[in-house]
Amino acid sequence: MRIFRFVIRRLLQLIPVLLGVVLLAFLLVRVLPGDPVRSILGPNATEEDAAAARARFGLDRSLWQQFLDYLGGLLTGDFGTSIQSGSSVGSEMALRVGPTLELVVISVTIALVVATTLGIWSAKRANRVGDHSVRMFALAGNSVPEFWLGLVLVLVGYSILGWFPAPNGRVDPDTNLTPLTGADLVDAVLTANGPAIASATAYLVLPVLTLVVGVVAPLLRSVRASALEVLHSESYAAAKAHGLRDRTLHRGYLLRATLVRLPSLAALVFGTAIGSTVLVEYVYSWQGFGQWALRGLLYRDYPVVQASVLLIALCYVLVFLIADVVHAILDPRVRL
Amino acid sequence: MLSIENLSVAIRRPGRQVAALSDVSFAVRPGEVVGLVGESGGGKSMVARAVVGLLPGGSHATGRVLVEGADVLRMDDAALAAHRGRGAAICFQNPRGALSPTRTIGRQLVDRLTTHQEMSGDRAREAARELFEAVGIRSAQRRLDAYAHELSGGMAQRVMISLATGCAPGLLIADEPTTGLDVTLTREILRQFRHAADTDERAVLLISHDLASIAEVCDRVVVLYAGTVVESGPAAQVLREPAHPYTRALLRSVPDVGGRPVVATPGTMPLLTRAPENCPFVARCAHADDTCASRRPPTEPLAGTGDWSLACFHPQTRPLDAGTPPTPATPVGGAAVAGPVPQRAVLEIEDAHVVYRSRFGSGGHHALRGVTLRLGPGETLGVVGESGCGKSTLAKLVMGLVAPTSGTVSVAGQALVKQPGRPRPRGRALRRARTRAQLVFQDPIGSLSPRRTVGDSIAEPLRAAGLSAAERDARVAAVLDRMELDRAILRRYPHELSGGQAQRIGIARALVGEPDLIVFDEPTSALDVTVQAQILDVIADVAADADRASVFISHDLATVRGFADRVVVLYLGRVVEEGPVDVVFDTPRHPYTRALLGSAPRLGATAGSEGAGVELVKDLEEADAAAGCPLAARCPFVTDRCRSERQELQSYGESRAACWRVPELPALIGRQAVTP
Repeated sequence: MRIFRFVIRRLLQLIPVLLGVVLLAFLLVRVLPGDPVRSILGPNATEEDAAAARARFGLDRSLWQQFLDYLGGLLTGDFGTSIQSGSSVGSEMALRVGPTLELVVISVTIALVVATTLGIWSAKRANRVGDHSVRMFALAGNSVPEFWLGLVLVLVGYSILGWFPAPNGRVDPDTNLTPLTGADLVDAVLTANGPAIASATAYLVLPVLTLVVGVVAPLLRSVRASALEVLHSESYAAAKAHGLRDRTLHRGYLLRATLVRLPSLAALVFGTAIGSTVLVEYVYSWQGFGQWALRGLLYRDYPVVQASVLLIALCYVLVFLIADVVHAILDPRVRL
Repeated sequence: MLSIENLSVAIRRPGRQVAALSDVSFAVRPGEVVGLVGESGGGKSMVARAVVGLLPGGSHATGRVLVEGADVLRMDDAALAAHRGRGAAICFQNPRGALSPTRTIGRQLVDRLTTHQEMSGDRAREAARELFEAVGIRSAQRRLDAYAHELSGGMAQRVMISLATGCAPGLLIADEPTTGLDVTLTREILRQFRHAADTDERAVLLISHDLASIAEVCDRVVVLYAGTVVESGPAAQVLREPAHPYTRALLRSVPDVGGRPVVATPGTMPLLTRAPENCPFVARCAHADDTCASRRPPTEPLAGTGDWSLACFHPQTRPLDAGTPPTPATPVGGAAVAGPVPQRAVLEIEDAHVVYRSRFGSGGHHALRGVTLRLGPGETLGVVGESGCGKSTLAKLVMGLVAPTSGTVSVAGQALVKQPGRPRPRGRALRRARTRAQLVFQDPIGSLSPRRTVGDSIAEPLRAAGLSAAERDARVAAVLDRMELDRAILRRYPHELSGGQAQRIGIARALVGEPDLIVFDEPTSALDVTVQAQILDVIADVAADADRASVFISHDLATVRGFADRVVVLYLGRVVEEGPVDVVFDTPRHPYTRALLGSAPRLGATAGSEGAGVELVKDLEEADAAAGCPLAARCPFVTDRCRSERQELQSYGESRAACWRVPELPALIGRQAVTP
């Protein structure tokens, strides 16, 4: 009940935060040098053409007026019209968000499971060979740039071994998948399309692996550190001295106490992963949100940039809210 | 049950070698409570760790630790797993830290029951509730779902005991089970161990630094010094006529409510790098001669006794001067205030209330409910009460760290904090006013900044007062001399200090600005007994300064008696008794004061000492302050009038007590003794 009240309160706080984000994104994108209209008109356009185009997108009006228009549109769910493509930003974004979220959520989930398992395993063997090698591999993975790792994985997994499909999309078009949410694996499962499930999974493996390797190191490090702290704590020593079985010790006295500090870091990592997808999507031609937002930024496509900033901010706030709730559930000492 | 034979433990780490235990031998039989006593660093906890097979890394143990005939030091992993808990279970020193923070205490107990007593889940939960009730936890059913952080210190210790007994061990080990608990709780907790030995025929090993407090429940005691057993024998006899000079020193260091003066033993325990070849106590012993310095005394039974042995060339036979009354008229503090209360009051508290508001909504915790105090220069006031009675709030109130909800507080005539309807100084004037009152903290090392040298810490109040560097150095040097500390200590950092040194630094820091008032908030409760005696000496000296007032807050009545002139007894934020210290302690009036004094350990304890004999019926946390007397819920002599009528302080002889039944009490106590 208290958690429910806390969530409501935090969701209400979301409104001013997002308003601020909208305002900042709106102003900052206009401060950037570069003209969106020039980028669509081509080299031979005259001043009159440019002015006409500006009027078409409402860019000739005062900043104040533009902002109010934009805000009014947002309230009715209208994110504006893309200057580049001329279609609705909202519907373009809806198409792009699903694949990226699928990628990030699966990657972070796998990274969390791997980090927890390996971190605790490693802490129990602190300063032995297994512990050192796990940490070295995690660190090495973290140090490698994602785009390079992506290319290597494509080379090995597709070109040499041939186990995975070419990096040319998200699902084999021959499977006739009906798009529902945009997240292909989810769609395939929802429509019970067997071949599509297999194909989408196969396409997911390499990009997910790339992201997991990129984000697992900090999580692992944190889990290992807090597991070590728990293992050396008085309470664990007490439980051990009372002769509890290893399984009881592990489940009851180590796991939850170790995970207490993970949620806030996991939320941060989730944010980083959203940023990392830009390059990973590029390597795997994922056609996701990151690629779309990057192109919007390059061409100064104002509505696209604003919408993507808003969406990322929303993701951050929601993920941190989830992290706080999970933290409170894990740690009885936390009061919401 | 437990038999330790020639146990030696050496800890070898790079650059460091410590002989933690050297040739320790003793035994604990089923149904017997054995006390293992000594200062910290003496190897008490190492014995406990050896018994459960949890010696720290790098340690090398020789000898034998036999539990039911099996040697713990030579057990393989499977045997150790079976031995831990079932064979021997430890109650840890810091129960709140030893309970897992993320698992309900009920689940933790159920874990032990299902592991060691092969119970099913439901049966174990039922048994857990019964165990909680057995150790005196009320509404046990509800408490099963509590977490460790929701428990008070005493409650956590009870849970810890139930966890240890839940393993159904043959041997129960308690490592400093009562450190940090106040007198009434200490007695109750120690009784639980006696109970475990009597009813379940368990062997109990009770580890403590305070011989006097545990002796009452022990059958035998073993005294450890620097990893060697110096004396062991029947508890009552060792307590009455300790034969080893170290045991005598230990006992003399403990202040006694009877008013016996504390005798501090100089020096500290040596840190041995290998097993000693001479008597380890030789450097601190008044009876030492050349033999002691060259040979290690063998452990031999004392002539004419069965079970009493010691390792000393010069056994003492005289009884410790416990029974003798205090040397007449040596109230070390404030000999000057024999006459009427002086004109200038250093501290004035007028009907102060403090309410800690809860964060949301109405209500809150009423920590002080109308306290009135007045303290002149040279006076020392002792404040006693159980934990949770408002002692620390009183300290904060005096220091201006909390604001009174109503009423006034002034130090040297000035208000240090916003008070209803009074002006208070601001900015520089406030800072100057604040230097008039100083606080000495309970945790000596924690109260020093870890990143500043000792010299910086001591000089801090002077820097705040804007003194020049030369003047600061001179003042710091002077106060250092008074604390008998070496100049070299000024460049050290807090983690390099021992507890006793750190507390001297704390007192030096309080003293250096020459304040009008020093508040000592439990300054010795975190220290070892012999160090405590040394610090009490220092405090008595400081408190005796004629131009300064001191407030000494403690849950240990005996430390207050040493040098306070007057004492106030706090209960749930109210003063229930106040008066000259000897009068209050020798002829207590209020039932609460009687109960406190009755629970305090006495040397050469003749049970049922004079005046006391009141047993409170519940724990503090379960009693709520009703409209009438705050003690009503716990007082054995409660009547309807007590419950409805607020009790004001009334004069009874030289002291004042807030209880209308005081004249009837002696008769009532007599009757209670006949029909318990």
